[in-house]
Amino acid sequence: MVDRIERHYAVFGRDVWGLLGFLALALIAFAAAAPQFLTAANFSSMAFQVSDLGLLTLAMLMPIISGGFNLAIIATANLSGLTLAWILNLNGGPQAGVLAFAGGAAAALAVGGASGAAMGATIAFLGAHPILASLAMMIFLRGLGEYLTRGGDISGFPDFLGEVGHGELLGVPVPMLVLVGAALFWHFLLSHTRHGFAVTMIGSNARAAEYSGVPVKRTITLVYALSGMMCALAGILMLTRFNSVRVGHGDSLLLVTVLACFLGGVDPFGGFGRVAPVFVALLILQTLSSGLNLLGANQHLSTAVWGLFLIAVMSLRWAGPVLAKLLKRTKE
Amino acid sequence: MLRILTAAFAGAAFLASAGAAAFGAEQPTMGVVVKIGGIPWFNAMETGIKEEAAKDGVNATMIGPTSADPALQVRAIEDLIAKKVTVIGVVPNDEKALEPVLEKARNAGIKVVAHEGPGIRNKDWDFELASAKGFGETHAELLAQKMGGKGEYAVYVGSLTVPLHNAWADAAIAYLKAKYPDMKLIGDRYGVAENVDDSRKTALDLLSAHPDLKGFLAFGSQGPIGAGRAIEEKGLVGKVFVLGPFSPGQGRKLVKEGAIAGGFMWNPAEAGRVFVRVGKLLAEGQEIKDGSTIDGLGTVKPDPASRNIITDNLVPINASTVDKLADMGL
Repeated sequence: MVDRIERHYAVFGRDVWGLLGFLALALIAFAAAAPQFLTAANFSSMAFQVSDLGLLTLAMLMPIISGGFNLAIIATANLSGLTLAWILNLNGGPQAGVLAFAGGAAAALAVGGASGAAMGATIAFLGAHPILASLAMMIFLRGLGEYLTRGGDISGFPDFLGEVGHGELLGVPVPMLVLVGAALFWHFLLSHTRHGFAVTMIGSNARAAEYSGVPVKRTITLVYALSGMMCALAGILMLTRFNSVRVGHGDSLLLVTVLACFLGGVDPFGGFGRVAPVFVALLILQTLSSGLNLLGANQHLSTAVWGLFLIAVMSLRWAGPVLAKLLKRTKE
Repeated sequence: MLRILTAAFAGAAFLASAGAAAFGAEQPTMGVVVKIGGIPWFNAMETGIKEEAAKDGVNATMIGPTSADPALQVRAIEDLIAKKVTVIGVVPNDEKALEPVLEKARNAGIKVVAHEGPGIRNKDWDFELASAKGFGETHAELLAQKMGGKGEYAVYVGSLTVPLHNAWADAAIAYLKAKYPDMKLIGDRYGVAENVDDSRKTALDLLSAHPDLKGFLAFGSQGPIGAGRAIEEKGLVGKVFVLGPFSPGQGRKLVKEGAIAGGFMWNPAEAGRVFVRVGKLLAEGQEIKDGSTIDGLGTVKPDPASRNIITDNLVPINASTVDKLADMGL
């Protein structure tokens, strides 16, 4: 029994049931309060909305588990999106074909991966603090993007991209499918590969990992490169959803991704964290935000509720073990 | 177990905040998504929306995202589509980023009204309380009157990449060139007017470099304030004239002292009322035609090709109007 629980924890993390319980509670509460909440239209709207935030959260997740941070996620996503937009425009803008899109997407992923790798190398080989290195990268990419676009936007893309950003496949929004695919890939990478193991070891104790023969520098570089590629995927998705790219699209999501990671039980100091609870945390954030929107609540209130929720979860995470110890003591 | 308790506790905390909301039965519903919530401009717009909604029997709410990010506007509009409102109003941060989601809204049978978004294609109507040409020319004419139709003047814009400010500047400069040939523009336009300190420093530099400088046309909310302070410091009140749109509450003192000679703005509360009026017309299926009269816009001349209703309903900001405007929280 204990073994099975432990195995279950190994896959989903310890937080997932509590979070799922809260998700259910939130769903019931909103269903009771807002008549439009339990509709297909609303769930589809939520699925569309959660996807770009979700991809960016995954991009934030891996560096945090490795004991780092990536402030450059939005800037990387924007610049990768610009790369794709540029290639689409070179190939006729609205007339561009699927091939141009594939090439552009590959180039966007390359740009995201390269900028991430550069940042990772700075952190791994020069020993720069991840916050500083990614801040520098964020400012550099932002500046570069603003310089190249003069602060304006690039738009006018082929129609089939709208199908990607706003279409549905078997009733499920395409962006959601992309997110689920990316999350499964991330889960596999973190839980079932040598790389994932190295990431958690480095996050727990980089020095011990180094002495145990884990290739720390290479792994960290790879972490940020992968994070950059995930940003690029988010950038591509944002392009298809907004039909335009501009530096600054999605700026407000940066800290929400950190919030989602911490809600999902990721250790802020690195070493611990799983994809499944973070995914549930994302769904909760989206439920709170959409639900409050349907009720016509002030947007600032939903931000406040997010914050409150994080505080509540954090304090219970702290109080949980303390209470358990007390209970044990009284029993004895 | 404790994890479940965690969830239950947080859920209870949150249930308290999600109080019951009552929905009107057969009223048209309208959601207006603005650039950002919690700033005076859009607070005033919300007041206007609420007032007019209560009067017209429309269930209208304003949604102000927590930051001026188009991604948040897209999210808010997606929620409104799910809510199945009758009309969506929008003041866009980025017109192009909203096109796909507005198209989705219209495909779902929702009417779309825009404000300050004349370039949007997926809309039923966009209304403007100021045309770029009218706004620029009205300021230019006032500057010419203050300066007696002659002398040197400088032009500020918020930034060289703000299209609207530059359109105002273009209109003003062209108007002065054609009508007041004795007025001379110095330098190019200066992109400082979103920053008080930069506006003040640039004004001080320009005043020392150009002794004959007699006027500042500052398009950008902080430009008139900064330039006005520079004039006051140099003791040039009444000799050099600063004009431009600015926040009445912020510039109240400077206007009264004469350091800012005046300016024009449009009234966001009125824009809020017009949102509801136009939304109601659309919900009732009424046509807006050439010569239709809409309160707050006057007799309109809609452009059927671009779906824009452009009017000039400017409110002057000067020593006698500034108190009233400032008291609205603007």
